[in-house]
Amino acid sequence: MTALLEVRDLVTAYGKIEALKGVNLDVQQGSITCLLGPNGAGKTTLMMTIAGILRPRIGSIRFAGEEIAGRPPHAIVAGGAALVPENRLVFPNMTVLDNLHAGAYQRKDDFASDIERLFTRFPRLKERSTQLAGTLSGGEQQMLAVARALMSRPKLLLMDEPSLGLAPLVVEEIFRIITQLHQDGVSIFLVEQNAHMALKVAQHFYLMEQGKVTFSGTPGALAEDEVIRRAYLGSARA
Amino acid sequence: MILDLIQNSFDGLAMGASYALLAVGFTLVFGVLRRVNLSYGPAIMFGCYAATWVSFSFHSNIFLLLGIAVLGSVLAGTYVERLCFAPHHKGSAIAAMVASFALWMQFEEVVTLVMPKHLYDFPPMFDAEPLAIGPLSLRAEALVMLACALAICFALHRMLYRSRFGLALRAVTDAPVAAQLAGINVPRVLLLVFLLASAIGGLAGWLIVSTHTQVTPMLGMWSTLKGLLAMMIGGLGSLPGAVIGGLALGVLEAHSQWFLGPQARDLIAYLLLFVLLAWRPRWMTTSHG
Repeated sequence: MTALLEVRDLVTAYGKIEALKGVNLDVQQGSITCLLGPNGAGKTTLMMTIAGILRPRIGSIRFAGEEIAGRPPHAIVAGGAALVPENRLVFPNMTVLDNLHAGAYQRKDDFASDIERLFTRFPRLKERSTQLAGTLSGGEQQMLAVARALMSRPKLLLMDEPSLGLAPLVVEEIFRIITQLHQDGVSIFLVEQNAHMALKVAQHFYLMEQGKVTFSGTPGALAEDEVIRRAYLGSARA
Repeated sequence: MILDLIQNSFDGLAMGASYALLAVGFTLVFGVLRRVNLSYGPAIMFGCYAATWVSFSFHSNIFLLLGIAVLGSVLAGTYVERLCFAPHHKGSAIAAMVASFALWMQFEEVVTLVMPKHLYDFPPMFDAEPLAIGPLSLRAEALVMLACALAICFALHRMLYRSRFGLALRAVTDAPVAAQLAGINVPRVLLLVFLLASAIGGLAGWLIVSTHTQVTPMLGMWSTLKGLLAMMIGGLGSLPGAVIGGLALGVLEAHSQWFLGPQARDLIAYLLLFVLLAWRPRWMTTSHG
């Protein structure tokens, strides 16, 4: 396997406060890689930096062999990486269908068949295709956010806390979809608070604490309990 | 009495149509940027002065002057966007507004340097007498104003809901970060919206000055004020609201002027705004569409 995404010595700051203090990690082609860590560890900052919403101060982000650090978000989507942001962020005053069209904004080819395929995968969205996205339930909005990101046909899907605030049944549904997408060949980089679920689907994981990667490994190894504890509570050194 | 009401309502609607266009331009920019551009009116004034200068120096064909007014407004609008708004997309709203005030002063200085008289004649749209329909009289300019406002609203609606750019504009208005993540080049959309708003403003400016057949540097402040007022009456950030606000403002002004005298005209308009702001009906606070 080769690394699809390589993050090296990445520093992102809000004013003088460094949220990322030199992050290093890889996402292998065709894998589900999971990023765990307590609140405030910098996970969302990392996702927003990879997606181009935040500009890194120093460091490198190589995606599919190209340096993308500091590029604008639309260029990164064009390159094949799409972020499903934290808290869904759908377009609330637009219909479900328009949300999907917006996801395909950069595509010049015909994407009608993609919409049909997504509607088969997410039948609820088909039922509600003419409804305003803001009227959907939290779980439906999450499905829509995933579907919108898939409309750009990404090689890498970045997902920031897709299970946040959702009912357990819906969380299971989300993870079922993540596994399906992975089987369809999409590489996935997943940020999750729900460490138990995430470690079930991931092939590789990183633990992030206070702006740095402090541990990485393969699920099933002995250290797992310790990692889960630290993902929820932060390390004792903190 | 009834006839006066009808006549005033019609005159008010025609004037209101130009306010509606000003408010639509304002709203387009406010919708995507959540910023107030005080230089909106002065940029229009700049375009109208450019047209006035052309009419004195070269030719006064009305379509040529319309073209110059629109082009001048768009150029001035681009200047405002690049200087005041492009650098502050994520920064302070106050900084952008103050910067736009500074450019307002620049535009007034520039036009009064080149054309120092307080008042210049502007070629009228038509030489025709008003059409008489029974006891009522219809000015051809009024019909043109209404027709232009209607056409622009229709075209904007189609653009918003049928075109790729319209989709991007709605997305940026609705959730700017999500729009970026969807792959929309947001800074480019913002610039294009600014150009579009300036072009609509230029058209409105030309309609107004060729109806009044005169131009003064006050046109800048006047356009900002009327556009802002109509936008606020219609509920901030709603395009249909801007149109309704503009028409309502025009009709209200026409009636107040007729029944209470010219001094009452603006007074009543500000009174309405005051009442609406104090009362804050639902449409003023919730509409974003």
